[in-house]
Amino acid sequence: MTATLQTSLAALRSDDEGRLADPIAMEVFSNRLLSITEDMGNTLVRSSFSTNIKERKDCSVALFDGAGRLVCQASHVPLHLGSLMGSVTAVLKACPVARMRDGDAFICNDPYLAGGTHMPDISIVTPVFIDGALRFFAANIGHHSDVGGSVPGSISGTARSIFEEGLRIPVIRIVRAGELDEDLLNLVSQNSREAEERSLDLKVQIATNERGKRLLLALSLQMGLTAMTGAIDDLLAYTARRLRNRIRDMQDGQASCVAWLDDDGLGGDPVPIQANVTVQGERLILDFAGSAPQARGAMNVAESALLATCYYAVKTLLDPELLPNSGMFACVEVSAPTGSIVNPAYPAPVGARSITCNKVARALFGAFAQLLPAERAMASSQDVVPVIIFSGQRRRDDGTFVYLESMGGGVGARHDGDGMDGVHVHITNTSNLPAEALENEYALLVDEYALVEDSGGAGRHRGGLGIARQISATRDGIVFSARSDGHRAGAPGLFGGCDGRTARLLRNPGTAHEDELSSKISNLVLKAGDSVRLETPGGGGFGSPAERELKALAQDIRSGKCSRNAAERDYGAERVTQALALAD
Amino acid sequence: MYRVGFDVGGTFTDFTIHDGASGAIRHFKVASTPSDPSEAIESGLSALITELGIAAHDIGFVGHGTTVATNMVIERRGVRTGLITTKGFRDVLEIGRQVRPHLFDYSVGKPEPLVPRQRRFEVAGRIDVEGNTLTALDEAAIRSAAETLLAARVEAIAICFLHSYLRGEHERRAAEIVREVAPDLYVSTSSDVLPEFREYERFSTTAINSYVGPKMGRYLNRFLGRLMNLGIVAQPYTIHSNGGLMSVETVRAYPVRTCLSGPAAGVVGAAEVGKEAGFPDLITFDVGGTSTDVSLVEAGAPAFAASRMVADHPVRTPMVDIHVIGAGGGSIAWIDDAGALKVGPHSAGADPGPVAYGRGGTEPTLTDANIILHRLNPVTLLGGRMKVDEEAARRAVEEHIARPLGLTVEEAALGIIRIAVANMSRAIRAVSTEKGYDLANFALFPYGGAGPLHAVAVAEECDLKRVLVPQEPGTMCARGILMSDLSLDFVKSEIIVANDESWPRIAAQFDGMQERGLAWLDKEAVEPRRRSFLRVVEARYKGQNHEVQVRLDKVPSRVAFAEFVAGFSEAHRREYGYDVEDLAIEVVNCRLKVVGAIDRPRTKPPSAQAASPLAREHRLVHFSDGWVDTPVHDRAGLGAGAWLEGPAVIEEMSSTTVVGPGQHVHVDAIGNLIVEL
Repeated sequence: MTATLQTSLAALRSDDEGRLADPIAMEVFSNRLLSITEDMGNTLVRSSFSTNIKERKDCSVALFDGAGRLVCQASHVPLHLGSLMGSVTAVLKACPVARMRDGDAFICNDPYLAGGTHMPDISIVTPVFIDGALRFFAANIGHHSDVGGSVPGSISGTARSIFEEGLRIPVIRIVRAGELDEDLLNLVSQNSREAEERSLDLKVQIATNERGKRLLLALSLQMGLTAMTGAIDDLLAYTARRLRNRIRDMQDGQASCVAWLDDDGLGGDPVPIQANVTVQGERLILDFAGSAPQARGAMNVAESALLATCYYAVKTLLDPELLPNSGMFACVEVSAPTGSIVNPAYPAPVGARSITCNKVARALFGAFAQLLPAERAMASSQDVVPVIIFSGQRRRDDGTFVYLESMGGGVGARHDGDGMDGVHVHITNTSNLPAEALENEYALLVDEYALVEDSGGAGRHRGGLGIARQISATRDGIVFSARSDGHRAGAPGLFGGCDGRTARLLRNPGTAHEDELSSKISNLVLKAGDSVRLETPGGGGFGSPAERELKALAQDIRSGKCSRNAAERDYGAERVTQALALAD
Repeated sequence: MYRVGFDVGGTFTDFTIHDGASGAIRHFKVASTPSDPSEAIESGLSALITELGIAAHDIGFVGHGTTVATNMVIERRGVRTGLITTKGFRDVLEIGRQVRPHLFDYSVGKPEPLVPRQRRFEVAGRIDVEGNTLTALDEAAIRSAAETLLAARVEAIAICFLHSYLRGEHERRAAEIVREVAPDLYVSTSSDVLPEFREYERFSTTAINSYVGPKMGRYLNRFLGRLMNLGIVAQPYTIHSNGGLMSVETVRAYPVRTCLSGPAAGVVGAAEVGKEAGFPDLITFDVGGTSTDVSLVEAGAPAFAASRMVADHPVRTPMVDIHVIGAGGGSIAWIDDAGALKVGPHSAGADPGPVAYGRGGTEPTLTDANIILHRLNPVTLLGGRMKVDEEAARRAVEEHIARPLGLTVEEAALGIIRIAVANMSRAIRAVSTEKGYDLANFALFPYGGAGPLHAVAVAEECDLKRVLVPQEPGTMCARGILMSDLSLDFVKSEIIVANDESWPRIAAQFDGMQERGLAWLDKEAVEPRRRSFLRVVEARYKGQNHEVQVRLDKVPSRVAFAEFVAGFSEAHRREYGYDVEDLAIEVVNCRLKVVGAIDRPRTKPPSAQAASPLAREHRLVHFSDGWVDTPVHDRAGLGAGAWLEGPAVIEEMSSTTVVGPGQHVHVDAIGNLIVEL
């Protein structure tokens, strides 16, 4: 059985084929809306307390109209693209508009009950009343560092059900007519290992929407409600028109691509994720039939996370500057088999979905590559969110620490150039922790932080290089875990380009005790002086290696990004000699 | 005595001359000479000497704003540079923060590092976070790296080791060895250029310093030679990114600090003019041909940022916080395939420029829209030196915008301006309301060629009540140089948990910097009464990764720990809206800014004048509600006290101010136009 995963959409203006009512007013309005969401985003990041929201900006804010249509979003994380749709839809479903009051605010996080992406992502949705009627919603979502459950951080790859992933919050009013429900806030906070941090951040999330509400009221006074409504209709119709034009530019047809996870998180065989993309005139249908049954562990992708990944791929491949609003979503139909890894059945766990989401992106990019002109296609990237986690005693005192880093890798090459080396791809884009900051905080030493030579797939354009991060313990009893993938097969090249190199995880590299570890490892205890090294995957190449410019090949070898041996294998000894004869 | 400030821009080099005796200020421009910017400087100064009849030895002060370093980075024209770094960290410059520059657009790549990988060498020698030597420095490896780099024909080397902000000996020793091997190379060490923790930003800043160092030195030599040829004996100063002046010798050692030279001077000048006029809180609004720079001035002081990107490379040095967007007079209006009207980000720039300038431009620009509505003079600009082809502008707007959208030409031109104003207003909100400031207390301070033209509309959109237009808004940056003090920034980075016990050690961090600062002031021959010191501690709650700035108003050794905590809590509340009692505070950086005050030039007040001056001419100008017969004034004809009711257009050589119906404008005692909305 296949379910169509479309969060309910109020219809777009019927005349969305025609001319915009007032393109100038729409553009002015759009700038004003962007100021409001930027303002809300700044408020949220600036005032929050937790590292996740403040430093990593793992949060998003959005404005919806009274019918629940997304009007404007400021997202720092692609995985949040459209994900507040799920929350607002759930609020509208759970609470009839007649029962909403000015000054109310709702809280929710549950992937099955309230359109959440996973439990640490908590949404706050605030209805906005103007002249006594519900006109808008201000909403935001933040990744909370812990919401309870079986492990610190609430993301356990080995969770067997959602009940191990922390506190489930259906749609509940947390503010009633302006009065914060302190009891409820306390309940939510005390279910976290960091209660004070939860309480502070949730209050900031509530205040952020209040600020959005005030700014919307001011805007309605400045331009009038009728003008606002007209501009919203124009904005959504315009966005839909723009995306439909891009879809119409593609050939009609159907293409599929399978991306593989190394395992389902608990070991076993590789797991397929199949994307089937259909273009019909101005319709775009993304279906995931052929994908594996739901995983035993937490690598399942909840509906909101799957939709976000689909919207990300469409925006990236067809129109990177497209405004994220309901006009965009209206053009994309998504379906996935019920009970599959991309549409799991309650109560399947969904916490560790980020690696799977990046593999969904790989499958979508692969299918689109068959339907798009070559200049829009891209070879596969590392398509993982490799996470390393160290915990133990702090460097300076006897307090404990948990240090988590998600690492970048190689980007797939494109028609117009090599793939980027060592960056986050697809649904995440978070910074590293500088070695000097890391060594200051933790009882760890960074031995190396470097690009992985020979990891980019050869081709007319070379895939980007993966990153090696090697860290050793400076105290006994440091506990290490990793959640990675791409250790079995490299990122596929495109149009004759070679695959990128696989990832590997080593303990005590370069010593007599060196051994290779599996991609998912839990609670490995390190002694002082022990080291671990994760090398992330490179990107795939684009086009035949025989077509690589000699100048670029010479630079690959001189820079050491390609070893001479690998270059001779992939490009031929003769071309390597010719290349190196060029002046530096 | 005369004081001369000049700002080298892409198109023009602007000069401001202040006559100490009369207080008069004069402005003029010469065309810039990008291949050697000092050429335009010489021809300008020489014109000043011959045409204004100023004797070279009467020029007592020369200050300049330069984009030489910035342009070298943007255009990648610096020298071949090598890097010597700690084993394991060769790729820090290339990996950066491991983020991709655009979330959705993979055609936007990371910048190529200024030092390519084959010229980045690793050497053993490791210091830990407490300053202990884990591995001894491999001096032979440094020697060999220097020899290899010399053979690879590098002209500069950057030496960047881990934790060198804490202990710089390894870097200093490495620099000695490099100088032994290659005495002619330009060498920078990260512990000297930026002794601040976080390796990527420190390495990047140091690499840029080396990359631009040799050519900056050669430029300064030519510049000094030209001054000498002209007989100018005053030692020239250069404005750096924090809006202060540095001597030529300091610029040679730290060229990276000039990355925001010109724009910073404009903001400093705006702050000074604003203070003098009784408007200490300003939003500065500098609109040029291709971009708009916006910044915030509070209580007479520009807002500062700790770092910014130059051509996508981080540069960390205290600098005036300027927000730049790609909207200017040359921004092109176009309709996309889904029917929306957009203005920019593409620009017709100076060449071919707007359609109405008749230099080959065919796509309608913001300037064309202003000409169509007669807000800009539809006949000539630049004081009559440039002919304007209004009909050509109308045809372009008709064909590209009005007809496809079913609008009249005037409606289309109004739409183009409304959208540009909306874009600019968003930039203003980004530096003000979005950072928690209330715009009700601020005045808009427009400058640059097109700032005063759009200022009133922007003020209306952002709900600002007053606009202050300085004299000759087109040369504000050159004028700002005459209002800047000498200054140099020092930083000491060490992460220390602050408590009663550690506080004296933290306060003592300022001692070494103070010593270096005093030595610098001596070298610059700054009299004791003109010296001042600004001390800032950057600190955070333990576990955070962002610091807030705590100003120390006394000598640090006399500040009690409890006073510091109170100051920190207040700073944290102001920045983030809350503070947390009983949470440990970590000090990260101690900063010292050493200032040598200069005399502010006293400007001659304009002659007072009767309240309602006569217009030079009248022309029809289109405001949102239609054509209105509007008086056009020469700015020079408006003396202090002059008072006008809108609509009015006020023209001067470098700019045009538009005042709408129902608004008032008057000239204050020092010659600024004050528009009340």
